[in-house]
Amino acid sequence: MDALKIKQASAMPAPTWGWLRMNDTAIEIPAGLERARAVTIEADEDLTETHASFEGAVEKLQERLDAVRADAPDTRACVRAAEREQELLDDLDTPALSAYQLAATREEIAGDVAHAFETGIGIDARSYLNFLAGGTVVLATEEGACEQAIVRVAGTSGHMAGAAVDVVAAKGSTLDVVISLDGVADSSRAAGLIGSELRVFAGEGARVNVTVYITADDVFTVLDDAGYVLDEGARVNVRHVVLGGAHTYTGLASDLRGDTARMEIDTRYLAAGDDTRDFNYIIRHRGRRTFSNMDANGVLTGTSKKVLRGTIDLIHGCKGAEGSERETVLLANKGVDNKTVPVILCDEDDVAGNHGATIGHVRPEQLFYLGCRGLSQEQAEALFTAAKLEDAALSAPDEQIRANVIRLGSALIEDFADFEEEIA
Amino acid sequence: MSTDALLSVADLTASVDEKTILHGVNLQVAAGETHVIMGPNGAGKSTMGHVIMGDPVYTVNSGSIIFDGADITELSCDKRSRAGLFLSFQAPVEIPGVPLSSFLRASIAGRPGLEMRGKEFRRRVKELAAQLDMDTAYLNRELGVGFSGGEKKKVEMLQLLLLQPKLAILDETDSGLDVDALSVVSRGMDAYRSTCDGSLVIITHNTRILEHLDVDRVHVMVSGRIVREDDASLIPWIDEHGFESFEREADETADAC
Repeated sequence: MDALKIKQASAMPAPTWGWLRMNDTAIEIPAGLERARAVTIEADEDLTETHASFEGAVEKLQERLDAVRADAPDTRACVRAAEREQELLDDLDTPALSAYQLAATREEIAGDVAHAFETGIGIDARSYLNFLAGGTVVLATEEGACEQAIVRVAGTSGHMAGAAVDVVAAKGSTLDVVISLDGVADSSRAAGLIGSELRVFAGEGARVNVTVYITADDVFTVLDDAGYVLDEGARVNVRHVVLGGAHTYTGLASDLRGDTARMEIDTRYLAAGDDTRDFNYIIRHRGRRTFSNMDANGVLTGTSKKVLRGTIDLIHGCKGAEGSERETVLLANKGVDNKTVPVILCDEDDVAGNHGATIGHVRPEQLFYLGCRGLSQEQAEALFTAAKLEDAALSAPDEQIRANVIRLGSALIEDFADFEEEIA
Repeated sequence: MSTDALLSVADLTASVDEKTILHGVNLQVAAGETHVIMGPNGAGKSTMGHVIMGDPVYTVNSGSIIFDGADITELSCDKRSRAGLFLSFQAPVEIPGVPLSSFLRASIAGRPGLEMRGKEFRRRVKELAAQLDMDTAYLNRELGVGFSGGEKKKVEMLQLLLLQPKLAILDETDSGLDVDALSVVSRGMDAYRSTCDGSLVIITHNTRILEHLDVDRVHVMVSGRIVREDDASLIPWIDEHGFESFEREADETADAC
């Protein structure tokens, strides 16, 4: 296959200055890759043998939302502006809208869940990953059931492989999904690509826990794209652990449509050498008293680069909603390039949006302390890397993923395998 | 300079931000000896410990530091550590994101005779933690983060026993500790002396921590100068009279100059 570039991927909903070069990214798909079938899914039959579908679940939610929708006309100026066919000179009470405001208001007026559905990296990446997967696996729970599933994508040099998974969690059910995106480079060190496309519908009061581990070697491009729709009282916890891969793209968009829905995201990342890490999180609060929290913690070493975009969108009508985002990043080398873009969009009163970032180099007194224990600057850097890997290994969902972390750690740090012996 | 000194500091003058802190300091410590450096606040005791260890904050203007027969005056602190020097911090730093066990493993890596693999390392560290009444849960916690003052000092003692340096400088390791924690620190120092037969340079205000130690020499430091050296009999004298007479003498000498 010829080289392909996915442009305007992982775009922020409301862009900032173009010259900052962080509004979106371009994903280069390495040329000459062969498509491979390298996906395994471990799940009980009652989870995979289902007639449920993501589209069907969204449709049912739409019916319920339409049934309770208020008929009272919305007289807000932005709505008048979005609905008018042309601007009139004598109508000075109706404001002009930016392209973003116009699209957002029209989407709000339509209240169309399916149309508003999005994923973090975007529609082009979604189409590409669906093409790679060849078909979508549906994991659907029965009402009140408690299930788990593991999806493994095992990449190899010179190949591209992807999984497409739809999750439909029925009312009051619990589902744990683990996605392992791993790739082992062979002696040719030819490039490879792996990815996963995930759509999640969390039904009324359902609980969905998603854990994604990226442990690919440094010749792989990795795409982890996901979109979530949460019904009333649904709770979703996402854990992203991004440790390997030459270029990784993690995107997540979530529609907190139902009242009191909750979304929590815990991201741990490591970038070494000249790795690049790109994250795009978009949380749309539409339901009342919805809650979201994004917590990212990472270490950058070598000459690695990272961009993290986090957008909390408090949309009109989400009264009592609360969204927070926070990032802590340690820059273990002066050669790294770190960009953090927290954005809070707000069109509602009585809401709370919080953001914070702690970005720091290793302080001189910390380096002196480490030096007093025999660690040079390089060894101190390796310590920060090892600590991140060890934490990921200790909290790995299963032995296979732990082994992937140890393999990756051994490639990055001398004697890392000793750690395996210690915890065995 | 004594030929059998493990550490020999000669005419050491050091400064920070163009302000001279140490003025021509001399100190000789032989292998297996225990020395105590005492003095009032701001005398330069901690600075001396940091300069011997190679803290880049300080500039050595003149003089030399010879350790185990080699001139280490220009060496970086990690190389001094690997040569067998150890500095226990008065206020150990916190390093978020790094579990204590990872840090300990990194600190022994590549040290001849100390390298331990996997389970052996874990066993050794747990033994030392038990010896110091330290909860092993701390091993999986981030280094120093949320540790009490006493726990931080226990971690310093644990490192002392794990690394087995030839010479350890303990910078006010006893400060701010309650009686129980003080007893654990004393136990750590005893264990170091009995198992490693290493040299100790103890910087302290408090004579209590010295009660169970056989002290060879006491040095009194005032205004960046060693103004008095004597045997252990000086300790009870200082306990009774304090540093006032030394400070007065130092002031008179300065006025005369």
